[in-house]
Amino acid sequence: MQRIGVFVCWCGTNIAGTVDIDQVKQAAEKIPGVVNVQDYQYMCSEVGQNLIKNAIKEQKLDRVVIASCSPRMHEATFRKAAKSAGLNPYLVEIANIREQCSWVHKNKEEATEKAIALVRAAVAKATLNTELVPGEIGVEPRALEIGGGIAGIQTALDIAEAGYKVDIIEKTPSIGGKMAQIDKTFPTLDCSACILTPKMVDASTHPNINLYTYSEVEAVQGYVGNFEVTIRQKARSVNADKCTGCGICTDKCPSKKAESEFDEGLRKRGAIYIPFPQAVPNVPVIDREECLKFKTGKCGLCERVCPSGAIEFNQEDTLVTQKYGAIVVATGYDLINLDKFGEYPYTEHPDVITSLEFERLTSAAGPTAGKFLRPSNGNKPKKVVFVQCVGSRDKSSRGKTYCSKICCMYTAKHAMLIKEKYPEIEVYVFYIDVRTPGKNFDEFQRRAVEEYGVNYIKGMVGKVFPEGDKLQVHGVDALSSETLIIDADMVVLAAATKAKDDAQELGRKLSISTDANNFFTEAHPKLRPVETHSAGIYLAGACQGPKDIPETVAQSSAAAAKAIGLLNKGKLVNNPCVSQVDEQICSGCLACTKMCPYEAISSQVIEVKEQGKIVKKTVAHVNEALCQGCGGCTVTCRAGALDLKGFMNRQILAEVDAICL
Amino acid sequence: MEKIANKVRETARLALANGEVNKILGWKKGDFWYDSYPAFITEEEGTASLIWDSFCVANLSKYLIEQLKEDIKVGVFLKGCDARAFNQLLKDNRVDRDKVVIYGLPCPGMIDPEKVKKAGLAKGLLDVQKSEDEVVFITKEGEQKFSAREFAYDKCLTCQYPNPVVYDELLAEEVERNNTTEYFYQDVEEIEKMSPDERFAYWVEQFSKCIRCNACRNVCPACSCEKCIFDNSKANVAGKAKVDSEEQFFHIVRAYHVAGRCVDCGECSRVCPVGIPLAKLNRKIIKDITEFYGEHNAGVNPSLDAPLETFKLEDIDPFETRAKGGK
Ligand SMILES: Cc1cc2nc3c(=O)[nH]c(=O)nc-3n(C[C@H](O)[C@H](O)[C@H](O)COP(=O)(O)OP(=O)(O)OC[C@H]3O[C@@H](n4cnc5c(N)ncnc54)[C@H](O)[C@@H]3O)c2cc1C
Ligand code: SF4
Ligand code: SF4
Repeated sequence: MQRIGVFVCWCGTNIAGTVDIDQVKQAAEKIPGVVNVQDYQYMCSEVGQNLIKNAIKEQKLDRVVIASCSPRMHEATFRKAAKSAGLNPYLVEIANIREQCSWVHKNKEEATEKAIALVRAAVAKATLNTELVPGEIGVEPRALEIGGGIAGIQTALDIAEAGYKVDIIEKTPSIGGKMAQIDKTFPTLDCSACILTPKMVDASTHPNINLYTYSEVEAVQGYVGNFEVTIRQKARSVNADKCTGCGICTDKCPSKKAESEFDEGLRKRGAIYIPFPQAVPNVPVIDREECLKFKTGKCGLCERVCPSGAIEFNQEDTLVTQKYGAIVVATGYDLINLDKFGEYPYTEHPDVITSLEFERLTSAAGPTAGKFLRPSNGNKPKKVVFVQCVGSRDKSSRGKTYCSKICCMYTAKHAMLIKEKYPEIEVYVFYIDVRTPGKNFDEFQRRAVEEYGVNYIKGMVGKVFPEGDKLQVHGVDALSSETLIIDADMVVLAAATKAKDDAQELGRKLSISTDANNFFTEAHPKLRPVETHSAGIYLAGACQGPKDIPETVAQSSAAAAKAIGLLNKGKLVNNPCVSQVDEQICSGCLACTKMCPYEAISSQVIEVKEQGKIVKKTVAHVNEALCQGCGGCTVTCRAGALDLKGFMNRQILAEVDAICL
Repeated sequence: MEKIANKVRETARLALANGEVNKILGWKKGDFWYDSYPAFITEEEGTASLIWDSFCVANLSKYLIEQLKEDIKVGVFLKGCDARAFNQLLKDNRVDRDKVVIYGLPCPGMIDPEKVKKAGLAKGLLDVQKSEDEVVFITKEGEQKFSAREFAYDKCLTCQYPNPVVYDELLAEEVERNNTTEYFYQDVEEIEKMSPDERFAYWVEQFSKCIRCNACRNVCPACSCEKCIFDNSKANVAGKAKVDSEEQFFHIVRAYHVAGRCVDCGECSRVCPVGIPLAKLNRKIIKDITEFYGEHNAGVNPSLDAPLETFKLEDIDPFETRAKGGK
């Protein structure tokens, strides 16, 4: 008979408030095999842990059941405690009577009954627990950064500085992300390029950093410490080693109809182009959809004018496979599409623009060389109306329910930038609320009102009517209930931020989850904000939720610290709860190989003795290093030849039986 | 059929004579007119006893699992449904294609002795002969002719694959049968029409008849596990007591274990000595799979993966599709 100890935690009043601890204890004492039952206010505290350790030693316990919070919270804590008392940590079993019981029930009697059932189940399972010993796996001392915006650059620099190799995969031809498109940055109004460009250059010249621009993640295999990532390097059609970045090709290219992505479509670019002057790497790329050579077979001008012979029309995508110990996802965000916002004639009228287009229009390197002019006629505007929360905090299906967080601040910035250059322009801002928490943020916004005389109007814009060469903005001042009509020359829309369209797809490749809005989900919103539920994969920047630059950079350095911590370990203990095959029972149908999401199962032919004869047979084989212990295979196997250590079919059935008692 | 029977004997004889195979799996006649039994023949002379008649309903493919454990080559006669069964065994890695020579027999449909008995024609019956669409019952008194469909097995009436889908040699011309798909799922639809309570009561009654002889499982080409979970005492899933819940559990688990792999040969229903319409359960699942994931006929093309063993992003969510619990 086992000697099982049951430890019931109050979790302050979290559990004790809804579950009658004494009754649970009394019930536990009656379960066969249970020899010691104790309770304590906070079992996870040092005192609580000592209680367990002492009981293990004094009572010679060989199994421990802890009725407390979710194993996600403290299983590791209690396993460690048991280990230090000389008990194999896998002989510890948690009965989750908090998340699965006290937190979800109000009726004390019912909750107590349920808590007792959960304890009974845990004891039933613990009875069948066996000692498990984890093995060790190495950690590849190299990190991967997916996304080369400010988040990706900062994380890469931090990891590289710590002495580890980092690769950055950037989808577009250049690193830099949205920050490269921004003119000046709140809350200090320093020039974005001036602070970003040096970091971009650092990243490209750092001996530990390797850039894969114009590249994407093709496939991800493996597990923490040993990811194997296949990178698709899209054909650039320009040999980066030969190209000197002289730009002759981009000047001479006759196909100049494509809209510049970097300039938000406010300028045309060639079929062969460098996205922006400070691009890193400073190597052009041929857009094959636009290139005449690819479309018609004629042209090839760039090839003739290129002094270094760098143009290579026959380049093909190349696939590179590389091992990484850690992965940081920093794929950023986008602005929502405004097609469905018919009240602002954004798609029809050139003078209705998005905030990001505004950044390009005020930028000295932008299409107007920093002169703030109306896109429709090139004249200087007299009145400009900003509309905040376009699609943010919007419960309808065309918008997003969340607050985009950055718009209040950048709108104040935009308003001041106009006023700074052209004090005579009248500026109006329609807002729902002004939300400016953050160091020096509120002061920044107040300056727009108090020093620059920007007209802030609490209320929403109902409709914008183009009339002659004006835009009639109809709005309501919510404070005075007055209807306002402003004959504006330009309207700037603070379009909501959204997750990248391919976030879910990338998430699937990485086995990390996305939330209802497709932003990547952190492992814990408070305590593990840069980790994901997949060990070894971290999050940085706006791909996890809307963020400004200071927050992005802080989170990036946090993610870097986590990644460095992992790489620095050199070795990891692996989870011994892996699947195993009973070769006698396995009939080799291999259904499990197709099911396993980690490709941990392969087939092998073995020889077995059957009635005196040697017979060859095909059986499944589990690669323990790849198995993540998800248990999918165990339910796929009809014969029950697969079993998950620590979660054996018998253990699960014993739990079910105990609950149904 | 007799002409083809001659060919069966000749093919088997030759194959053994020239050493193409070491063993032949075919059928031979038993004591009664409806007895056509599996026969394992290793000597040339033995092939004379081989037959091919309207009662060769037994599927020979599953015997291959045991037979192929020896290092020999086996020749086997397979009908349409048997060939699908063979392919399923192949997909489950239970047979080695290289060690088998398949003689395909396009099947005109088999005769159900129960239907003959029910019609009162069994008395004094000496022989039953079947041509294309006709069946002739021969007694001392004389001959009686009927339409063959009247006496065919139910499963033969809806059979979509009378011709073998895999073979090395086809022993007769392919047959055509006008089995329309329209009433293919008639039996399933009858069940679907019931209210959930009626349906439950129906199956409870059916399963209560079960004597756990395991005939359904043992005959099933999709039940090919080395050791069935129900025979594994360590697995702790099956009780020995003869209680209704055990039988219900057994049959429902079995239906799920063969889901997507059942070749719809109907053998389970045929061999059940207490008349449980087991194939209905499997056919319900086949119908659901077809509706959810598109047509998938197990055993027809062994290179295709079964829809329940694979996951595609565009797969429907059955819980959403059938959320109302109606059917
Ligand atoms: C109009 C406007 C003005 C702003 N002004 C300010 C300001 O003044 N001050 C401030 O603090 N913040 C400002 N912001 C916010 C700022 O843009 C963000 O905080 C910052 O860009 C977030 O950085 P990031 O690296 O997380 O994302 P991003 O800048 O979006 O970078 C993500 C990078 O990842 C790449 N990528 C995406 N998907 C993939 C993939 N699948 N594979 C490989 N690469 C991929 C992208 O191409 C991009 O280069 C402003 C935002 C807007 C819209
Ligand atoms: S070949 Fe293509 S990229 Fe080169 S100059 Fe002509 S259109 Fe431009
Ligand atoms: S438990 Fe099975 S399905 Fe899951 S990862 Fe391990 S081998 Fe693959």
